[in-house]
Amino acid sequence: MINFKNAIYINFIKDSRYLYIVNGLKNTLIITFFALLIGIILGLCIAIVRTNHENTGRLKILNNICKVYLTIIRGTPVVVQLMILFFCIFTSREIPGIFIAIVGFGINSAAYVAEIFRAGLMSIDPGQMEAGRSLGFSYSQTMKKIIIPQAFKNVLPALLNEFIALIKETSVAGYVAVQDLTKGGDIIKSRTFDPWMPLLLVALIYLIITSILTHLVGLIEKNLRKTER
Amino acid sequence: MNTIIKVENLNKEFNGLKVLDDISLEINKNDIVCIVGPSGSGKSTFLRCLNMLEKPTSGHIFIEGVDILDEKCNVDKIRQKMGMVFQQFNLFPHKNILDNLIMAPTTLLKIKKEDAIIEAKKLLNKVGLEEKIDAYPDQLSGGQKQRVAIVRSLMMNPDVMLFDEPTSALDPEMVGEVLDVIKKLAKDNMTMVLVTHEMGFAREVANRIIFLENGKFSYEAPPNDFFNNPDNERLKSFLSKVL
Repeated sequence: MINFKNAIYINFIKDSRYLYIVNGLKNTLIITFFALLIGIILGLCIAIVRTNHENTGRLKILNNICKVYLTIIRGTPVVVQLMILFFCIFTSREIPGIFIAIVGFGINSAAYVAEIFRAGLMSIDPGQMEAGRSLGFSYSQTMKKIIIPQAFKNVLPALLNEFIALIKETSVAGYVAVQDLTKGGDIIKSRTFDPWMPLLLVALIYLIITSILTHLVGLIEKNLRKTER
Repeated sequence: MNTIIKVENLNKEFNGLKVLDDISLEINKNDIVCIVGPSGSGKSTFLRCLNMLEKPTSGHIFIEGVDILDEKCNVDKIRQKMGMVFQQFNLFPHKNILDNLIMAPTTLLKIKKEDAIIEAKKLLNKVGLEEKIDAYPDQLSGGQKQRVAIVRSLMMNPDVMLFDEPTSALDPEMVGEVLDVIKKLAKDNMTMVLVTHEMGFAREVANRIIFLENGKFSYEAPPNDFFNNPDNERLKSFLSKVL
């Protein structure tokens, strides 16, 4: 017991080491939130281009660009993408690492979100598009007012799952000199030479966040099923 | 002459399969045209070509004198004047009935929301659904959904209404309520083109009935002649099966 108390003191209290955890968690949440925001906006744009092409045959060039993008992003590890951004593209060290991490994870997440949205858009009954067009709405008006709102509702659980996955993925942000939650634990470990305490706490924090979100997904799914009947 | 729809040598192919074969037709103001025929004969395809939900392979379609197959034609504008009612209703499930009704007129015709609501209430009252104004489509029966769908089209104050088998997806006891609404429209002299399997109804409301078979209009007559002494062997055999 004394050992345990002592371990807590050494790892978290002494020299205010808990700040590595607190600030790391803050950075992890900031990166995840803004990356998902980029992911949703960019992903929706890609999905709209892809569906438009599949429905009407237009936007051929844009569609091909999107396909190349999806292939590259989904076919390479996110750490490698992040390192290319950090070491090859944004070479100025004036740019904060957290910004690079947000951009990197955002671009990465967009590829997955795009496919989620695309599946959502394709799942809407074609009769909805026909009804909108027959009233005189243009293709884009029908998408905006009729198709996308319905698709968004359908993909909400999948989007939250992407959010959960992204939180865990951001743990590699340390590769580009960002002190996220994982890196925070890692730093404490290197100071105290005790791997157990800091890493277990880091794992526990991830587990709590993802558990809450998973529970939320369950609630939303239940709620969606209710309003459908 | 008040020609609303003029079709000239209309052809439609799906992957080389000819569905509509050189169809020509004129529909005048206040006409009520019923199109009947065996399934797969191209009835729905023909109707859907009239508002370009299906793109014809060749031919011309003039709506109030405008060739809608012209590249420069703004089809969205033309569609505003042509109401369409679908077999599967296609109401917008994420919007309540009022929003389903006022969305198109407020957005496309720039009608003030208050005015659109007054109009929506008036028309809902006409079809006996004023108390459903705040309900969602999923809370309505099939017949109620179809009546709302008809009102949704009427909100745009169309010059012509297209009906694509409006009662085919309904339980038998709900067919009557929808047909009654269409009959009311007929009384108000709405120009209509209907694809239907309800022969009794066609006979009652239509002033022209067209028999479509293998992508061709093989017979056209006023209702009495059409049903009583059809001058066409294929039609006779068709009628003997459905009547």
